[in-house]
Amino acid sequence: MNNDISAPQVETDVLTAMRRPGPAWLTGLGLAGLLFAGGLALWAYQIMHGMGVAGITHPVGWGVYITDFVFWVGIAHSGTLISAVLFIFRARFRTSFNRAAEAMTIFALMVAGLFPLIHLGRVWRFYYLFPYPNQRQLWVNFRSPLIWDVFAVSTYFLVSLVFFYVGLMPDLAIAARHRSGRAGKLYRILSLGWTGNLRQWRHYGRLYMFLAAFATPLVASVHSIVSWDFAVSIIPGWHTTIFAPYFVAGAIFSGTAMVLTLVIPMRRVLNLQEHIPIDHIEAIAKILLLTSLIVGFSYVIEHGMAFYGENLFEMEQFRFRALGHYSLLFWIMIMCNAVLPLLLFIRRLRRSLAFLFVLSLLVNVGMWLERFVIVVCSLARDFDPYNWGNYLPSPVECGITLGSFGLFFAAFLVFVKTLPVLSITELKER
Amino acid sequence: MPRQLYFDTPDAFLEELRAQLNAGIPRRRLRARLPFHLHEAEELLIGRPSRLRYFALGGGLAGFGGGFLLAMLTSVDWPIVTGGKPIVSVPPFLLIGYLLTILIGSLSCFAGFLWLSRLPDPGPLVSDDPFDPRFVLTINDEEAS
Repeated sequence: MNNDISAPQVETDVLTAMRRPGPAWLTGLGLAGLLFAGGLALWAYQIMHGMGVAGITHPVGWGVYITDFVFWVGIAHSGTLISAVLFIFRARFRTSFNRAAEAMTIFALMVAGLFPLIHLGRVWRFYYLFPYPNQRQLWVNFRSPLIWDVFAVSTYFLVSLVFFYVGLMPDLAIAARHRSGRAGKLYRILSLGWTGNLRQWRHYGRLYMFLAAFATPLVASVHSIVSWDFAVSIIPGWHTTIFAPYFVAGAIFSGTAMVLTLVIPMRRVLNLQEHIPIDHIEAIAKILLLTSLIVGFSYVIEHGMAFYGENLFEMEQFRFRALGHYSLLFWIMIMCNAVLPLLLFIRRLRRSLAFLFVLSLLVNVGMWLERFVIVVCSLARDFDPYNWGNYLPSPVECGITLGSFGLFFAAFLVFVKTLPVLSITELKER
Repeated sequence: MPRQLYFDTPDAFLEELRAQLNAGIPRRRLRARLPFHLHEAEELLIGRPSRLRYFALGGGLAGFGGGFLLAMLTSVDWPIVTGGKPIVSVPPFLLIGYLLTILIGSLSCFAGFLWLSRLPDPGPLVSDDPFDPRFVLTINDEEAS
């Protein structure tokens, strides 16, 4: 542990990182902003011309948009794992990542929440999803997994937002002390007048613990509920009982990879090497390895059960995934998610930042493909051969997907320059 | 005049705090400001747990009951059979109850925290009173406390 860094040093190091954006940051923000603007323009185009401009059609009615939704909700998960679950287990390496991971959770959920709306077509009717007393005297169908999703994702977003803000409060007051003028005033107002008296700390400590306790079950439940969007149906390849744990492990796996994708460059660009020691990055790499093993095991179980079960449709579905039209994507997925992460058993690679960064990108590619394979393959080959058909994403769908990455990275870049990227208070405590 | 003592380390602060209490200064005359939470200081100066737990319990129960009732009563209000399931389908309605337990529980905890710790506090904003990076122990006079 780096107990040798003094408290004033922690403050200056973390707050210096927020100063003067350099050319790299500006270029990054420009690129991400362009991607986002492109995605928005394509969405506007889709709204004007209708859903026909997207590649989804009979029989594959769920395509890239639903893939993106599942992917982004999954990314959000490791943020909560790091901030809430590791807090309850008192894992000390958590302080190196929790703030960035919590921010990542918020941004990923913002992006994820857009996709059901994009997929909806008539986006101006989105409020039909919420139960409210209306003229038609209709209520939502609480037996539908799609409504469970609405409740799960909005609960997850609001709880994560409160958790993120509560963690920030003392740090905002510290930032206010270091800044003069309007920025300082704004930070002071956002800190709600925090002075750190014992009364505040005492309730704060309890609040943080309660929020962690409330958020912990969400790590397991939100992606379980997302998986039931599929598992509750009767389509071959979707209708399986392992879906909930399989999706949760995948979510933590992809989210952990995204934490590494974001934190490794951030640590270097913002000169935070002393505060995010390599030992802590190795701990995250171990979580990545563990979840990769669970995901790999799920692949084996999924295919094994299909062939052991002797259900003709299930068997054909899993044969199709491995050897059919989308087999290339399937094998890239296996490589990225189940094979390459095994290299993390080698300690030297677990501690190599370059290797971890490249691996984290590959895992994200693999996890996106996993969702694509699950969503699309099952719909492309269901029970009746008359009902079969392949799907190719349209340029509009691809553009909107790229736009979602633009929004996510732009939001993260703005975050690193406006808020303390490490929890100053917790680093001092450490 | 209240006396203010400043410390850079938690150990020095706690040592002084214990010394003051041992010297017979009553708890109500002592005020502390900390850069981070010290459980020992809480035990020495207050000694009873925060009441925030009632907000967690109340919010959680209200969320669970409210969520289940929302799903149940809206289904009973327009009873239409979907997917061959009963009008009051307990497992999915429990799920709504579970999610609202977490949502309302967290929000009520946050509201309870703001209420109990008297935030937002406009005082420090107006008087420009910053969040001190040091440990501060204030010893008030008998009459001021």
